[in-house]
Amino acid sequence: MRRLETRWGILMALPAILGFVIFTIGPMVASAWFSLTDWTIGGSPSFVGLDNYTAMAHDELFWKSLGTTTYYTLGAVPLVLIVSFAVAMLLNEKVRGLAVWRTIFYLPTLVPAIANVVLWIWIFNPDFGLLNSLLRQGGLPGSQWIYAESTAVPSLIIMSTWGFGNTMVIFLAGLQGVPRHLYEAVSIDGGGAWRRFWHVTLPMMTPTIFYNLVVGVVGTFQVFNQAYVMTEGGPNHATLFYVYYLFRKAFTESEMGYASALAWTLFMIIMVVTFLIFRNARRWVYYEMAGAR
Amino acid sequence: MRRRDLFKLGGLAALGASTAACGGSGSGSGGDVELQFMYWGSTFEKAAVERMLKQYEQKHPGVRVKPLYTPDEYDVKLNTLVASNRLPDVGYVPLAMSFRLGEQGKLVNLHPYLKKYPQLAGYLPDAYLWTGQDNLHGVATANEIELLWYSKSALAAAGVAPPPADAASAWTWDQLVETAYKLTVDQNGKHPDEPGFDPKQVRQFGISSSITYGAAWYGFLRSNGVDFADEAGKKCLLDTPEAVEVFQNLQDLIYKHRVAPGPGQLAATGDDVPGTNILLKTKRVAMVVDGHWSLLDMNESKVDYGIGVLPKYAEPYTSTQVAGASAVFAGGKHEQEAVELFAFHNDPRYVDLFANGLWMPQEKKYYEDQAAVDSWTKNDLHPPEFRTAVVDYARDHGVPVFGNRVKNMSSISSDVLTPALQEIETGKRPAGEILKAAAPKISSMLQGWQHTQDV
Repeated sequence: MRRLETRWGILMALPAILGFVIFTIGPMVASAWFSLTDWTIGGSPSFVGLDNYTAMAHDELFWKSLGTTTYYTLGAVPLVLIVSFAVAMLLNEKVRGLAVWRTIFYLPTLVPAIANVVLWIWIFNPDFGLLNSLLRQGGLPGSQWIYAESTAVPSLIIMSTWGFGNTMVIFLAGLQGVPRHLYEAVSIDGGGAWRRFWHVTLPMMTPTIFYNLVVGVVGTFQVFNQAYVMTEGGPNHATLFYVYYLFRKAFTESEMGYASALAWTLFMIIMVVTFLIFRNARRWVYYEMAGAR
Repeated sequence: MRRRDLFKLGGLAALGASTAACGGSGSGSGGDVELQFMYWGSTFEKAAVERMLKQYEQKHPGVRVKPLYTPDEYDVKLNTLVASNRLPDVGYVPLAMSFRLGEQGKLVNLHPYLKKYPQLAGYLPDAYLWTGQDNLHGVATANEIELLWYSKSALAAAGVAPPPADAASAWTWDQLVETAYKLTVDQNGKHPDEPGFDPKQVRQFGISSSITYGAAWYGFLRSNGVDFADEAGKKCLLDTPEAVEVFQNLQDLIYKHRVAPGPGQLAATGDDVPGTNILLKTKRVAMVVDGHWSLLDMNESKVDYGIGVLPKYAEPYTSTQVAGASAVFAGGKHEQEAVELFAFHNDPRYVDLFANGLWMPQEKKYYEDQAAVDSWTKNDLHPPEFRTAVVDYARDHGVPVFGNRVKNMSSISSDVLTPALQEIETGKRPAGEILKAAAPKISSMLQGWQHTQDV
C-alpha cells in the first residue's frame, strides 16, 4: 500500500518535475554553456571562455541598459509598495461593499500584460490620450510621456502602479494578521490613528513589506513587456531595459552566446541585490516569533 | 487536446505549425512533396501570396505548399527556426539577416540555377544578393521604391496643385514645405503660419516623412549629393553638411514648420501607426512618403489617392530595392522543387501581386519593353501617372537603399543609427549635433559594402 502510494505520488508529481527539469534546469545549463561560447544562431559555437563577460565591461549599451533598469526599479518598487500598502489599509477598514472594492482594485491585475500595455499606449498618447486630455482640461501643459527621452522611464514607472493588485492582496493578508490587542493597547495609552500605524501596523507589517520588496525588486529587474511593445527601447535608448537588450541581442542580432552571458550576469546581479536586501533586513524586519525560528 | 492546439495556445502557432508540417513531409507517401513558404505582409498581401501558392500547386501536381504567414517578429521567429533546425523551404528573409544566413551556409546558392531559370538572370543588378564571389544567396523579393502619396480630395480642398508625377519636374524641398503649410489645419481650421494655430490639436497634417526609416530619407540624401558611407564603406558620412541639411529639414517639418506629426502623434495604438492608406483616407495626413507597396492597400481600401515623385535637392533620387530578401533555405529534402517555387513566387507571368500593386518586377524588361510594362501596369489598379511616377522614376532615378548593402547593418541600426534618428525625431537637439556624435560611432562599426558582381 505504501509502495503504491509512493509510486502514485511520484507519478502525479512527474509533470511538474519533468517540466522543471526540461524547461527550466535544461535551458539554464544550456545557456550557462552558451555564455562561454561565441554562438550565433545558425553558426556552430566555439568555446571562448569568459570573453563574453569581459566584453560587457566595454559594452556601452550593457551599462546603459543596466542603468535604465536600476532607475526603473528604484522608481517602480517603492511606488508600488506605497500605493498598494495604502490601498490595502483602506480595504482593511470595515466599509460598505468591501468585497466589491477589493475586486475592483484587484481587477487591473487580471488584464493580460499585452492588453494592459496597449491600453496604456492610448493613455499616454500625446494628442488624444487620457492623461493629456485630463491635463489640458485642467489647464495644465501635457507631456510627451513615453515619446520623449526624459519622461519615458518615469511614465513607465507610473504605469507600473497599475498592476499593484497582487502586492495589495499580500499586504491585506498581512494586515489581517496584525493582533488586535496591540491596537487596543495603543488606544488605552491614548494613541490616535497615526500612533496605531507607526507603532503597531508598520512594525508588524515589516515581514510582509520585506517579502513584497524582494519579489518586487526581482520582478522589476526583469521588466520587458513595456519596452518590447510600447517603446522598442526608444527613444534614443531611453527605455532600453536590460532584458529587452538581452532579447534583442539574442533574437534580432542572433548573438546567443553574448545574450546568454547577459542573462547570467543579470541572474548574478539579482542574486547579489537580494542577498544585500536580506542582510539589511535584519535591521528593520521584526518577526514576532523571532525566538522560535 | 491535440499537441498542435496546445502549441497554438502557447502563442507558438508558427513553431507548432512547422513542427506538425515537418512530421507530415517526412512521412509523406506516394511521392507527394510538401514545401513550406514563410512570409510576412498585410492581410491583403497574405491573401495574395496564398493565391500565388495555390496557383503554383495547380501547375505542379504532386507538390503541396504550406503557407507560414508570420506578420510580426519575423526575425525572431525565423531565428528560432534556424536555431532549432526547422527551416522552411522557401521564404522571405529580412535583408540584413539574409547575409548572415548566407555566410552560415543556411541558404542555397542560386548561382548555378540561373541557367535553368533565365527569368532569374535578367534582373535589375541591384536585386541580387551576394555572400561572396559567385555565391548568390537570394534576391530582393520585389523591387520597391519610395513615393510621395497624397489624398486628392485633401489637396483639392486646400486648392493646391498635386506633387509632380515625373522626376524632371520634381518639387524642390521649399515647394514641399510651402504646400505642406497649406495642407496643415488644426481643429479650428487654422494653418501653422496663422496666429492662434494649435500644434497640439492638428486635424490634418500636411506631410509625413519618416526620420527613423532609412528608405524614406535615403533618396533625399543621395539627391543632396552624399551617401550613407564613403566608397570603401568604412566611413559614415551622416555628419557631412549635406546630410545634416537633409535631416535638419526633416526635423524642421515637425518642430519649426509644424506641418508634420511628431513621435506618437499618428499612433492609434502606440507605435502601430496606421497604414498610409488609412492616413490618407481619414485625411489625418495629406501627403505621405511611403513605399510603392502601399498601392495594394490603397486600392483595397478605395482611397482617393494620387502618386507623385519625391522632392529633390539636386538630381532627383528615390530609394529602390526597399524590400526583404527571398531565398531558398538549405538542408531541405526537396531543393529542386524549392528552387522551382522560388523562381515562380515572384515571376510576373504567374503571380498577380504585380498587377495588384503590391510588387514591382525585378526583371529589367518590365521597365523597358512596352508590352512588358503594360502587362503589369495597364489595369484599373495602376493610376495613369504610374508610368512616369513609378516605372520611369524607378528605372532612371533609383538608388538601391543603403541598408541592403552595408555590412553589419543590423547592429549599426539597432545600437547607434536608430537611437540617433529617434533623438532627431524628438527634436530636443538640432540634427547636426546628434549626427556629429553618431557618425564616428557608426564609422567604427562599418565593415565595408556587401559584395556585388555581374551575373
